[in-house]
Amino acid sequence: MANAKSKEQVVNPIGASFTRNDVYEKVTGSAVYADDIQFGNKLLYARAKRSPYPHALIKKIDISKAEALPGVKVVVTGKDFPNRIGLYLQDKTIFATDRVRFIGEPVAAVAAISEEVAMKAVELIEVEYEELEAVFDAEFGASDKAPLIHPDLDKYVCPNFIFPKAGTNIANHFKIRKGDVSSAWDKCAYVVERSFKIPHIQHVPIETHIAIAQMDEKGKVTVWASSQSPFAQRNLIAHALHISQSDLRVIAPLVGGGFGSKAGVTMEAIPVALATKCKGWPVKFLLTREEEFYTNFVRQGLTIHVKVGCDKEGNLLALKNMMYWDGGASTEYGTNVTRAGGYSSSGPYDIPNVETDSICVYTNHPIGGAYRGFGMSELHTGLDQAIDELAEKAGVDKVTFLKKNGVAEGDVLVTGMIMHKNGIQECIDNVAKSLKMNEKEKPSSPDRLRGKGIAAMWKAPAMPPNPGSSAWVEMSEDGNVTVGLGGQEIGQGTFTVMAQMAAAALGVPYEKVRIAGPVDTQYSPYEWQTVASRLTWSMGNAVVLAAKDARRQILETVAEAWKESTDDLDIINGVVVSYKSERETSLENIVIYGMPKENNEGWTGGPIVGRGSFMPKYVTNLDAETGQGPRAVVHYTVGCEGLDIEIDKNTGTIYVLKGAASFDVGKAINPALVKAQVEGGFAQGLSSAMFEEIKLVKGVMTNPSFVDYRIATAPDMDFPLDTPFVEVPQDDGPWGARGVGEHPMVPTIAALGNAIYDATGIRLTNPPYSAEKIYLAMLDKGLVK
Amino acid sequence: MINPHPGLPELQYVKPATLQEASKFLADNAGVAKPYSGGTDSFVRLRDGILKLDYLVDIKGLEGTKELSFDPQKGLTIGAAITMNQVARHPDVLKHYPNLAEAAESVASYQLRNRATIIGNICNASPAGDTIGTCMILDGVLKVHGVDGVRAVSLSSFFLAPGRTVLKPGDVVVAVQLPIPPKGLVGTYKKLGRNRIGDLSIVAVAVLGYPTPESASGYRFRIALASVAPVPFESFKAEGVLSGNKITAELIDEAAGATMDSVTPIDDVRGSARYRKQMVKNLTREALTEVWTKLSK
Repeated sequence: MANAKSKEQVVNPIGASFTRNDVYEKVTGSAVYADDIQFGNKLLYARAKRSPYPHALIKKIDISKAEALPGVKVVVTGKDFPNRIGLYLQDKTIFATDRVRFIGEPVAAVAAISEEVAMKAVELIEVEYEELEAVFDAEFGASDKAPLIHPDLDKYVCPNFIFPKAGTNIANHFKIRKGDVSSAWDKCAYVVERSFKIPHIQHVPIETHIAIAQMDEKGKVTVWASSQSPFAQRNLIAHALHISQSDLRVIAPLVGGGFGSKAGVTMEAIPVALATKCKGWPVKFLLTREEEFYTNFVRQGLTIHVKVGCDKEGNLLALKNMMYWDGGASTEYGTNVTRAGGYSSSGPYDIPNVETDSICVYTNHPIGGAYRGFGMSELHTGLDQAIDELAEKAGVDKVTFLKKNGVAEGDVLVTGMIMHKNGIQECIDNVAKSLKMNEKEKPSSPDRLRGKGIAAMWKAPAMPPNPGSSAWVEMSEDGNVTVGLGGQEIGQGTFTVMAQMAAAALGVPYEKVRIAGPVDTQYSPYEWQTVASRLTWSMGNAVVLAAKDARRQILETVAEAWKESTDDLDIINGVVVSYKSERETSLENIVIYGMPKENNEGWTGGPIVGRGSFMPKYVTNLDAETGQGPRAVVHYTVGCEGLDIEIDKNTGTIYVLKGAASFDVGKAINPALVKAQVEGGFAQGLSSAMFEEIKLVKGVMTNPSFVDYRIATAPDMDFPLDTPFVEVPQDDGPWGARGVGEHPMVPTIAALGNAIYDATGIRLTNPPYSAEKIYLAMLDKGLVK
Repeated sequence: MINPHPGLPELQYVKPATLQEASKFLADNAGVAKPYSGGTDSFVRLRDGILKLDYLVDIKGLEGTKELSFDPQKGLTIGAAITMNQVARHPDVLKHYPNLAEAAESVASYQLRNRATIIGNICNASPAGDTIGTCMILDGVLKVHGVDGVRAVSLSSFFLAPGRTVLKPGDVVVAVQLPIPPKGLVGTYKKLGRNRIGDLSIVAVAVLGYPTPESASGYRFRIALASVAPVPFESFKAEGVLSGNKITAELIDEAAGATMDSVTPIDDVRGSARYRKQMVKNLTREALTEVWTKLSK
């Protein structure tokens, strides 16, 4: 029975480091992933025929031999699915139609009774190509000498904030013109100019992409996919197939890592296309690790030319950025990456004069998509190393330089937006203090050099102006709460954080809250995508609204039954209490059956269903020529990272002694999960800084395996990492929270580059900063013999 | 073109009952059959399409392949089915051949070493093979069963080219035998990968040293180099430098320089020839200094 031992919640769910609510399944192996789902003996296996050329016209495709192979159920090609799709710029078809634009592009696909038969059938598909001149460099691609990769660019559909240039390979040209850069250089006492080339990298989730599709006799399609975006997939695939969104159902079980690669639509469309041609048969498509490497979304490469200047005191005055993004064969998603790189191109610094050209270029490389913190790691790798150099030139210590120029409330940003309150000063202080940035410390041995580096960062959720979130809250007889939502648990802990928020908003213990999963577009409420570090903030707001709606319904029920005012009632630890009458009742049963009114006057209430939806309504478009507008983004999360390293003079190997990372999360709903996100992001950032690179030679990826695409292992991360967070609340965030999922990998390359410079005096511009690169640079400089 | 790697090609698995049967089958199917033990190299290469076979001949269980024993007179015998983890944790190995355990433990991951074998590492004949150099400078001799019976093949004359050895069709390497190490032997294995664990070596150096009155310096050193030549490589030139004179830091430098001058590495996806040359010198110097410090204690 009701037993509110105290009038205080026992543990406030907000700010408590509860154990994740998906831990048991994941640790025991009972968690269900897409490949675990059983489809019986009707299951067909899909394989794709892929382009061996980076750029070629398709002259002829002959599928007759493949179709004749026993065990082959269906073979499809581009002519069966001519509709263009794309998240931002609709420049892509499910299969290449008239031409191929990168090595690995799907040209045809087969569904067969076994993987082996499907593979044999793929070999029997004959494709005749006419090879074309290809583009492997973004700057060349943007020039008028380059062959056109998308001659039909002028016909493609895109939203009004993307600016393709027909008759060129430029898929988006985003411009910032703030102040007057050309006259500002004269006022600068110090100027630094540097160019950086940031390579393509791959997401490498431990679970490769997988999707299973089935069309029923009436034409309704169900897709089971490892996905960050079940709703966006529903929309895009329905569009491509010319079917109604409500006839496409996406079921999204747990995800074994996404990092952006499972946002939007990539390979999922292939099994759907096949399934439409064999009604009733489920078709499974699972990428091999090699396909995961060379056929899927990559983080696109960037060449960035930075020129930045400051006055005698070290106040930043002017910045000019020329960014050429290697967008790859399709820029349907990548156009927005380059937009994000553009509207945030000043970094978290107050700079009065800024000129940026962020140019997204088609190349014959793999397709650039979303990658944890997209655009920002690339931008900051260049910007924050140039700023490091400028601080030194100006004779201002680096911590002071960052703090002096750090963006503050009320500052006019590069887009004209006014900056909100933020904790960048505290973040910089935290890192400086943790690493004793003001002390030059000795290396542990004469064979080593020691250096420290620091870099600040910012990032806004990169998305359309109006991505929506929605949620519902239901309850069962035992008083437990189920939260329906459409955002995905991709390892970041969002289901746990949502349960905490629902518990707090409703007034029940955390343990009473369940998440309705797996996300299923037929039953789950709408969510745009699990990207952009937006869920804690956006989906969190929707969940809180739904929980508050349920709470209101409960209180109204009780108030009516007890003939009291809801103002006198509260829910604490799952018990409704009256501060007036001191009566109390458990939520059990009343949340389903309602309550009897007194004096046998009938009943009140009924099954409780709370609903909430949230959509930012204040983001505006920016001027095409100047990038100026009242509000470019919803908000920025700011932060800072630093590294204290040693470099082995015999090999160039980096040994990290200590790392520090501090981010302004607004409010840490679950501090342990914040720490885990920061640690994971730091590791991923450092991995990309030291090891990772897709090695492309004439469009061929030469290292499409874990043998030669190295990522950091636990021993590579064997050092203390300090992660103090800052909490300057977000005005429209739940309890002030904003996202921190992507940010921890944004400044890491720059911080490491700055530490290497501090140790050696060498500015390595092009990551990864491998032992070999460092050693040979030291050799060339005469630091080692 | 990049191979998307859907799965393994079709293969026949053959499990002979005797060494004679194995050798006969392998000889009868020369070029399309291969002995199979741990499979950690074979399966990857089959899936990559680099290795094309009709038969994998499982030699685990054949006489002598499961032997791991130490004899105070004859030394250590490691059968072809003995895994790297079995070697690395064997008390006699740890006591008498700790450098072999060290080299074995640098290979890939613990899980892989539950399958991978020393003999497989040797027969794969990669210049990067982590355990080969140490076995070579421990004067390892292979016991080979062929169609004409058993013969002994010294590791020093075993390797011909990357992936190629003196083995003939029908040959099954049953074991490697390492003699009793010289008294006072110490050593080290220096492996440089792109990251801390699990990588193939960019360069690796195995060094052993022991006191001996037969040498002018009073010591003999053995130096084996990996990933810097077409075959696992012993630098006799550097060894010669160290036997003729009193060991000093300068002499060690000279020997390290000699290793660099004696190798012809290539540029590949793991590292450049230029870096490799430098690393041979530096790792050899580091290894020699470490071994010398141990010896002069």
